[in-house]
Amino acid sequence: MAVERILKDEASEEKGERARMASFVGAMAIADLVKTTLGPKGMDKILQSTGRGREVTVTNDGATILKSLHIDNAAAKVLVDISKVQDDEVGDGTTSVVVLAGELLREAEKLVAAKIHPMTIIAGYRMAAECARNALLQKVVDNKENEEKFKLDLMKIAMTTLSSKILSQDKEHFAKLAVDAVLRLKGSTNLESIQIIKKPGSSLKDSFLDEGFILDKKIGIGQPKRIENAKILVANTAMDTDKVKIYGARVRVDSMSRVADIEAAEKQKMREKVDKIIAHGINCFVNRQLIYNFPEELFANAGILAIEHADFDGIERLALVTGGEIASTFDNPESVKLGHCKLIEEIMIGEDKLIHFSGVAMGQACTIVLRGASHHVLDEAERSLHDALCVLSQTVNDSRVLLGGGWPEMVMARDVDELARVTPGKKSHAIEAFSRALVAIPTIIADNAGLDSAELVAQLRAEHQKEGCAAGIDVITGSVGDMAELGISEAFKVKQAILLSATEAAEMILRVDEIITCAPRRREDRM
Amino acid sequence: MAAPAISRPRSSKTDSYVDNKRKEDIRHANIVAARAVADAVRTSLGPKGMDKMISAANGEVIITNDGATILNKMEVLQPAAKMLVELSKAQDAAAGDGTTTVVVIAGALLKQCLSLLSSGIHPTVISDSLHKASIKAIDVLTAMAVPVELSDGESLIKSASTSLNSKVVSQYSTLLAPLAVDAVLSVVDPAKPDLVDLRDVRIVKKLGGTVDDTEMVKGLVFDKKVSHAAGGPTRVENAKIAVIQFQISPPKTDIEQSIVVSDYTQMDRILKEERNYILGMIKKIKASGCNVLLIQKSILRDAVTDLSLHYLAKAKILVLKDVERDEIEFITKTLNCLPIANIEHFRDEKLGYANLVEEVPLGDGKIVKITGIKNMGRTSTVLVRGSNQLVIDEAERSLHDALCVVRCLVNKRFLIAGGGAPEIELSRQLGAWAKVLHGMEGYCVKSFAEALEVIPYTLAENAGLNPIAIVTELRNRHAQGEINAGINVRKGQITNILEENVVQPLLVSTSAITLATECVRMILKIDDIVTVR
Repeated sequence: MAVERILKDEASEEKGERARMASFVGAMAIADLVKTTLGPKGMDKILQSTGRGREVTVTNDGATILKSLHIDNAAAKVLVDISKVQDDEVGDGTTSVVVLAGELLREAEKLVAAKIHPMTIIAGYRMAAECARNALLQKVVDNKENEEKFKLDLMKIAMTTLSSKILSQDKEHFAKLAVDAVLRLKGSTNLESIQIIKKPGSSLKDSFLDEGFILDKKIGIGQPKRIENAKILVANTAMDTDKVKIYGARVRVDSMSRVADIEAAEKQKMREKVDKIIAHGINCFVNRQLIYNFPEELFANAGILAIEHADFDGIERLALVTGGEIASTFDNPESVKLGHCKLIEEIMIGEDKLIHFSGVAMGQACTIVLRGASHHVLDEAERSLHDALCVLSQTVNDSRVLLGGGWPEMVMARDVDELARVTPGKKSHAIEAFSRALVAIPTIIADNAGLDSAELVAQLRAEHQKEGCAAGIDVITGSVGDMAELGISEAFKVKQAILLSATEAAEMILRVDEIITCAPRRREDRM
Repeated sequence: MAAPAISRPRSSKTDSYVDNKRKEDIRHANIVAARAVADAVRTSLGPKGMDKMISAANGEVIITNDGATILNKMEVLQPAAKMLVELSKAQDAAAGDGTTTVVVIAGALLKQCLSLLSSGIHPTVISDSLHKASIKAIDVLTAMAVPVELSDGESLIKSASTSLNSKVVSQYSTLLAPLAVDAVLSVVDPAKPDLVDLRDVRIVKKLGGTVDDTEMVKGLVFDKKVSHAAGGPTRVENAKIAVIQFQISPPKTDIEQSIVVSDYTQMDRILKEERNYILGMIKKIKASGCNVLLIQKSILRDAVTDLSLHYLAKAKILVLKDVERDEIEFITKTLNCLPIANIEHFRDEKLGYANLVEEVPLGDGKIVKITGIKNMGRTSTVLVRGSNQLVIDEAERSLHDALCVVRCLVNKRFLIAGGGAPEIELSRQLGAWAKVLHGMEGYCVKSFAEALEVIPYTLAENAGLNPIAIVTELRNRHAQGEINAGINVRKGQITNILEENVVQPLLVSTSAITLATECVRMILKIDDIVTVR
């Protein structure tokens, strides 16, 4: 039967069962790829770049792995996206969300094979997700009133987050770093005032938190190396010459002395500019652009510490933390907000000299200096610490806390199972499937740790039939343990985000019944 | 193109138990690759270690014994092998010495891990146990260490010479070791002893002579000639030195300029003005009493012209031109003077003083020495000599290692025996500790202990001794309580290594152990290599 061609030449179309299969397979392959990084005994991946330099990244962070993959499958892309969103929203659980979505699809595949309509599955999943969320809500603990306890909660969350990362051995040290840093923020989720500096050498546990700000620059020659009660002017201005910015502008003169005069005039202009800057009553001047020899000497004469060529990030952050503004004109000293700090001095980390601003105006600011064996370690440490900081800053705002170690999944699974039993109709199969997908998470955690997952999960399920149980998987001893005693906690916000976005993603993929690949845009031969 | 991840056959949940083959393969491949790197540098360990000749892609040849340098030039591609290269760089940054040791230890640990993995122990268990063992190892090492005072020059020299002994320049260690100690001690600020910046020690390389002629100069050395343009002085006593950042040449504005000449009398006038302009500047310089000028290189215009050099020569001012901008800080710090960026600021208080500035012929070139500097800053300069470029480069690297060793001692004032003694002692104590541990942990710690024996084993092997006989005897001696017994490579037997003056800073050993463990743990935790954009 000859059918008129509807689509363009190279476009392709996959329909019904085939389309669904393609998206299931793609999504599950992605979930399987990151599955092994889940949990405290999860493994790392090497990401080898095919680009120039063949750079190598070693990571355990789901979002980092997924966002650097080449992906051609539409459903797989959806999963990568939810992982990214999870990273932006709460910062942690990027692997869990993909794995849960993958498991939901795996279950859905079986149901579809059993001739249950995708829409029925979706309806079931929705009910189950709602029920699971309520189950969690009933179990949350909120210690916002009690400061001592709240801080302890934060510590626990930080440790739980870090325990699956490279920092796990020194997790107490780093958890303390992260909690201290986040508490300084006083509720803001703006992580910009936490600066992370990486310096190779020494080992991870020599990393430290420093109140204040560290700038990786040098102080000008002949200028004071230490200033107390500093008044800082942060600027972005040309300190070579103020050029006329019109192309082709030139001066015509008729003698050498005139040239000398103009040069002197230029110097004079610069001197005036420096005088104006000095007139702000400052003793530290930080410029984003170069400071030439001549103004540098003028600053040195005036006993002002001048730092040139601070990078963009550097000055913006410096302006933020010292409470100053970035200035580019200097005519009105009174209208420019100066930054303040108690002490500026040179410090030495590893082999490098850095400039340290302590006692800065904005008390929230702090710097975490990471040390480690190599760039790979440092980069991964930064990613891990970033995850912890994100989760903590979210928790400070939403202080509801859950236990970890597979406990929330089991709690949800139990309630969802209950629901399945009382729901009439085909939907109950989908609800049951949802509960199986939830249980898959503790199963994977146990599998990654090389434990007998079937045995452990069965025990866990039995434990959870009791009211008020706190049982979870204790991967260290390889048995079922009391999560409250072990101090393993997770933020409610993270769990909720995982649950909801995974369900949504699964639902979206389930709804697909046709994939249309557009013909690639033809490159015109440029003749 | 479909991503490989998607085209791979997927595993359903039920068969995840058997689908671990690929992971094992990748881990295996990583370990094999990393060990290959470690084996490549193994033979350069110790005083009788051999050197490597590296011929770079551009035809340059390097001969070296320094692990960090060898690995740096090797251009490995395999990701895990790259991590070992990084490891040696990290050791270089942290301690400066022991860059070969750290890689060899990592290689040995990986070898042990391979057998642990094949006996079915989970990688994270191995990783955790290694971490515990390394913490314990640091405790043991610290307990073995002997405190040292900075005033105790002899101990410092001993440890510097231990580091130098394994290099090409070992026969000069009696000369270079005290030199390294002096150089570092002269830059230590008593107020801030932790803040030793090796950039305050300048190493100037000059071809010619032998390594024997290497010397430390109290003052400044420039590998440059004095400008001879117009027969200016080449030797000035009681020098008043100015470091200038402006140019003694006809004026040039930042804005584009052109001089319009309409007839030739004007040309004469312009020439005259140019002369007067320069003369005016030189008069001002002369008026301050300055007789030595160091002129910063300028890219915008000529720093000096023939004309100005001529006048400067007439004014009996010694001129050294083309000083790099990043050297200015070092120079001003040494001379205790301030750079001058404008002729108007040319004042007496910004000048530096020295007893003698002279040009010295050396080898086939000339250098300028400034000595007897008044109120000299905390810097030092070492002039390295050698008969060919390869020797000089290697001498510089060796000297750098020695300087690092001394710096380590300044930072952490503890010494420890060398010659494989600490490693054997560690191996013995950790072995004993492993017996009281439970389960897999004990097994892994035991492997860690065994891996550490690689250092004495390799030392003996490289020295042409019977490694098995030596290591077993060493073990025996340590078991009898001689914790400082080590391999005396010169005598080819086991002696008390502390008495033989073979010592090294504690920091080198501890950082080698911690860094190697950290790196091995990272390699162990990898189960997949993913190709990405």
